[in-house]
Amino acid sequence: MRRVEPKAAGEAPPAAAEPVARLPGRLRALGQAWRQVVGIPDYERYLEHMAAHHPGDAVLTRREFFACAIDRKYGKSGPRCC
Amino acid sequence: MNKLASLLLWPVIAIVGAISFGALALGRGETVSATWLVTAALAVYFIAYRFYSKFIAERVLQLDDTRPTPAVRHNDGMDYVPTNKWVLFGHHFAAIAGAGPLVGPVLAAQMGYLPGTLWILAGVVVAGAVQDFIVLFISVRRDGKSLGEMIKMELGPVPGSLALVGVLAIMIIILAVLSLVVVKALTASPWGLFTIAATIPIALLMGIYMRVVRPGHVGEASAIGVVLLLAALYLGRAVAADPTWGPMFTLTGTQIAWAIILYGAIAASLPVWLMLAPRDYLSTFLKIGTVVALAVGIYVVAPPLQMPELTRFIDGSGPVFSGSLFPFLFITIACGSVSGFHSLISSGTTPKMIERESHMRFVGFGGMLAESFVAIMALTAACVLDPGIYFAMNAPAAAIGTTAANAAHVISNWGFTITPDAIEQTAKDIGETSILSRAGGAPTLAVGMAKILAQAAGGKALEAFWYHFAILFEALFILTAVDAGTRVGRFMIQDMLGHVYKPLGDTEFLPANLLGTALCVAAWGYFLYQGVVDPLGGINTLWQLFGVGNQMLAGIALLLCTSVLVKMKRERYVWVTLVPTAWLLVTTLTAGIEKIFHSDPSIGFIALANRFSEAAAQGKVLAPAKSIQEMQRVAFNNYLDAVVCGAFVLLVLAMCVYAIKICLEAYKQAKPTAHEIPPMAGVEGAAA
Repeated sequence: MRRVEPKAAGEAPPAAAEPVARLPGRLRALGQAWRQVVGIPDYERYLEHMAAHHPGDAVLTRREFFACAIDRKYGKSGPRCC
Repeated sequence: MNKLASLLLWPVIAIVGAISFGALALGRGETVSATWLVTAALAVYFIAYRFYSKFIAERVLQLDDTRPTPAVRHNDGMDYVPTNKWVLFGHHFAAIAGAGPLVGPVLAAQMGYLPGTLWILAGVVVAGAVQDFIVLFISVRRDGKSLGEMIKMELGPVPGSLALVGVLAIMIIILAVLSLVVVKALTASPWGLFTIAATIPIALLMGIYMRVVRPGHVGEASAIGVVLLLAALYLGRAVAADPTWGPMFTLTGTQIAWAIILYGAIAASLPVWLMLAPRDYLSTFLKIGTVVALAVGIYVVAPPLQMPELTRFIDGSGPVFSGSLFPFLFITIACGSVSGFHSLISSGTTPKMIERESHMRFVGFGGMLAESFVAIMALTAACVLDPGIYFAMNAPAAAIGTTAANAAHVISNWGFTITPDAIEQTAKDIGETSILSRAGGAPTLAVGMAKILAQAAGGKALEAFWYHFAILFEALFILTAVDAGTRVGRFMIQDMLGHVYKPLGDTEFLPANLLGTALCVAAWGYFLYQGVVDPLGGINTLWQLFGVGNQMLAGIALLLCTSVLVKMKRERYVWVTLVPTAWLLVTTLTAGIEKIFHSDPSIGFIALANRFSEAAAQGKVLAPAKSIQEMQRVAFNNYLDAVVCGAFVLLVLAMCVYAIKICLEAYKQAKPTAHEIPPMAGVEGAAA
């Protein structure tokens, strides 16, 4: 079974791949979707974004990223719902 | 081909909906299966979405996918992220769904299932979904700005400040009433209290795990959290039965109220990663899981509706809340039809994640339809209970006494035959000592859910577990809301204090933070404590105060939407927002004024306050108060409630005047005057 490199997280494997080989990618996409629904910060997506749009820039470590994202989300965000 | 499918599909949905409504209407006098009610609701949602939301998207708002959204312009991989529309739908739904749509419909069930159902369905299509959708649209076209900022931009600085004061006042009332719901559910319930108390160390453990032990591994921490939570739920039964531990977790209402006040003060002062974030994840998991389970459960079990379609309490004499169908049904249901609070979410994180303008239809309008569906399920869960049980759980002790025998006698006299044995058996089934006067919606919903879910899985043996699971699910996200709401309240209070004395507004300055937190907790804690010790029940007063406030906020949001439509020169479509605005203003102003001035003491705050203060002055003690002091407290609190209610009324009238003025000015202009970001504003980086 072919495995997708971690770097390519979220990217769909080549369309020619048989369904079983696509499974890891599918699972990752599902996990990513779930994290977005629940509102959990997604470090891998952040890394992809940095690699795609700001190549060469320094990136936050996983720990720094989470600290920053959680503080931003709850720090001064809008009120909760009833 | 697609066109053909659509041509066939929509008549089928319309016919299914018509048959469902027919089954509800023709089943008068006999029991009807709840699946008809749920199916009728789904048909309404599909048709409203397919036709009305399409009309709003294409004609009224003219959504344009070539305009870059804030998520595209400012994509930073963190806050501003273009998000798949299905994912964002889920995220938006999880953010707007709270305790409101669960509590309101349960209370409204005292009038029968029909009035509640009709308003939940009509209200969401005409008002609620329109508000959520259009506020989201306005915010996306303004770089994801918040409601307060947008009111300031479009209506002026004074209305902007007024709206902020209103939001703070409503927040305080909602924190009090939600906490009161928890108090009512956990009073003298050691199993429930143990489980809820256990969520605190579990959240702390999760917080430390994902910050220190394995930074950023939220999935692992959540899995541990869920397992521990279920273990606590299981252990709760043994703890409650234990001769030493049981009494330790058996607290009175006042004790629990103090515990929640203390919890709110401490939780809101801790770093967010330690408790708020992990609890938020846990409660979101439970929320989504439970809503899905309930929907499946209703279809699998197909329970019959026991509550009649209309009860005699539409005349306003109901024990759960007083006041006639108009306007009080609308105030009570609130969130399931239209919720002012959603305008804060629709102008919060969601607009920063919209990938394309056309997605807003599904996320904004569709998300609110899903919320309304939750309200329909809550109403269903309350109406599948024996009405006698429903009234035993929701009428205050002042009406039905404190023993099963007395309650059964009183409720049977109302025309809902019930035996003391049936009341006691229900308590036993759910593993509690008493179900009497557990107002506030959560326990009633939990009993209804337990009955449905136990029939779907586990049978009688698991009913007590399902009951406590349902209580856990509601209490968990209410306590998360208390934590998060207290923080937001603190920021708003500090923002206001900063205008008086600058250092007090500094959110990095610890003494100022503590002062802000203390003021916020004291404000909602006061209303909570008064609600708990109120011999008349508490919920019936506070929930209506909340309902008035919430619907007023919705009115303000819709006034903004109306003004923006006029400023965009879309006057010919202004009825889309004007009709719900007018309806909300009529119902809330009537309700607000009746709550203050109605001559019946069971409705009017001032009438009740006068009655108690006059009797106290003559040295008489009126039941259910037990002393002159209690009498004076009842009088004072009702005067205070009248003032709060009056403030809401004046606030919305002032907003109305400003909005009319702005609309008239904009109407005279030949060109659009709305402050939108130009369609082709630079992508990424151009707008700093």
